Amino acid sequence: MSCSGSSTPTGSDPIAERRRQVRAASTVMPDEEMRGVSDPIDVQAPVQSTRSTSGERRPSMARYRLLGWAQQNGMFFALLLLCVFFALRSDNFLTITNLSVIAGQAATVGIIAVPGAMLVLSGYVDLSVGSLMVLAAAVFGQVFEAGTGTPGAVLAALAAGAAWGAVNAAFISGLNFSPIVVTLAGLAGARGLAEVLTQGRTVSQFGEGFSRLARSQLLGQRAPVWIAVAVFAVGFYVWTVGPWGRHMTAIGADEVAARSVGIRTRRIPAVLYIGSGLSAALAGLIFTSRLDGASLSIGVGQELVVLSAILLGGISFTGGRGSLLGVLSGVLFLGVLQNGLILIGVGVFFQNVALGAALFFAAALDAAYRRLERLPVGVDERQGILADPEVGGRA
Amino acid sequence: MTPASGGRAEAPRHAEPVLSIRGVSKHYGPTQALTDVSLNSWRGEVLGLIGDNGAGKSTLVNIIAGVVTPDSGSIVVDGVAERLTSPAGALERGIETVFQNLSLIPTLNITENIFLHREIYGPGRFWSALRRMDRSAMQSKVDDGYRRLGLDLPPPTTKVAALSGGQRQAVAVSRAVIWERKVVVLDEPTAALGVKQTALVLAFIDRLRDHGVGVIFISHNLEHVQQMCDRVVVLRLGRKVFDSRLADTTGRELVERMTGAIAASESL
Repeated sequence: MSCSGSSTPTGSDPIAERRRQVRAASTVMPDEEMRGVSDPIDVQAPVQSTRSTSGERRPSMARYRLLGWAQQNGMFFALLLLCVFFALRSDNFLTITNLSVIAGQAATVGIIAVPGAMLVLSGYVDLSVGSLMVLAAAVFGQVFEAGTGTPGAVLAALAAGAAWGAVNAAFISGLNFSPIVVTLAGLAGARGLAEVLTQGRTVSQFGEGFSRLARSQLLGQRAPVWIAVAVFAVGFYVWTVGPWGRHMTAIGADEVAARSVGIRTRRIPAVLYIGSGLSAALAGLIFTSRLDGASLSIGVGQELVVLSAILLGGISFTGGRGSLLGVLSGVLFLGVLQNGLILIGVGVFFQNVALGAALFFAAALDAAYRRLERLPVGVDERQGILADPEVGGRA
Repeated sequence: MTPASGGRAEAPRHAEPVLSIRGVSKHYGPTQALTDVSLNSWRGEVLGLIGDNGAGKSTLVNIIAGVVTPDSGSIVVDGVAERLTSPAGALERGIETVFQNLSLIPTLNITENIFLHREIYGPGRFWSALRRMDRSAMQSKVDDGYRRLGLDLPPPTTKVAALSGGQRQAVAVSRAVIWERKVVVLDEPTAALGVKQTALVLAFIDRLRDHGVGVIFISHNLEHVQQMCDRVVVLRLGRKVFDSRLADTTGRELVERMTGAIAASESL
């Protein structure tokens, strides 16, 4: 490599001399002076604790890895356990028909959850998605009624969602407004706009063509499921194959650091808000197609369902941690939970209790992992930086 | 205190400095942060940059890092005049700045941090165009860097959150070496570290010098400066008041230059 290549042949004597001096000096460095200037930012640098050799209260690397892994992928196995449980309790659970029903219900949540999870990963949130669903439905209904035909109405609805997402992006990324407050305003405002547009009237009967959006089948699954699969495929590319997942993690974990390595910390969330608005509009259209009516009941409470799925999937609400497998697991877990509890005859009230308990568990796991992260792991006195036994051994 | 190193040999000098700051000035509103500061950094030389609070060290570091654009003056990298208008621009030109906060993401692992926003894409033109990350290429580059620098860090898949302060510093600095930077600016690299961690980081800086990197070492700690540096530049109230080989000066003189006990006009 050019680095080693570029170093000129320097007489080895002065270097060796200096090394000796560095080592000799390092043994007599007074402690106070070293601590004199403390760095306010790097406070969690586990410096003092490296002195204790016993290492009690310090988790091993293996345990740390295991917990981290559980935090990332735990929901996947919780999902499997839940499926086994329901399969044992109800003969109707593990049937093709029922699984298709679950997939269909989970599809719309999943479509919104992919960009939503990326926002949470980056330290942002979009609470306006439920209302954007009904706004898209209302826009679709009005434009359809005006006689533009289905394709034009679909485009108008998607454009409305994307445009609202762009407004969110402008305020949050551009003007540094609080994400929660701005999208909460959207939660009220977008639904209000839908009500104004429709004057409370439900436009319906969009014809055969539009009903295909929810009803047409391929390989035994309805179109929304395949749309969700496509959204997850795009999400996988963005999150895991390309570099953006790392960039979003960096923004969520430490925005200043992310910016200083050159990540565009404003553009990425801005794009995600537009994507979130677009996907919410798409989900709204799927509901409209299913109902064959642009009902104002569409999307009520969906923002919380989506956010629950995201958080259940192990995406840290403070940002900086999470995986797409987690999101998929969270979305399916929610779908399976709702479906299974109905199948085994548990009342609606208990469903919410079960969801609450699951969310609580996810929060506990997240907190445990965050605490663990602060602890120095596997750092003991002999563990240094340099392999050179002369230097490393001294440490 | 270590005695001022008399017997130290001068660092090898190339014909041209790898980084040359020429007559740089910067003011923020009515405050003149830097006035006509010039300095040179050579390959394989550790340049100490010291000064009291408000001397203009941070401004100078930010200018070199491309965070702040100077009002006047020029920056020459390897003989080519450059305008460093962004952090990315400075990195492209081979200047890596390791700030005090290290710019490491605790929830990402060592490899992910080293390649953050500089991911390797591929293999092949098709995947590069699609920005597919080439994980194995990045992995082997990190392994290679570990070997080359003789680093003994936890495996590259370890999350940075699990590293000690000295190890984090080493990761931040090895980022510069793996990227084959010409100049590495270290802003207070030992400030938050204990004795042993500090010794390791200093030894590591020594290796950077061996690899022919131009190192600019900013520190409050005169003792570390005297241990590590080949040459020292003292800033005071935004002006360069002293520039000398370390061997030609003493700790007492450096303190006097920093505090202004010796008038600026007497200096070089």
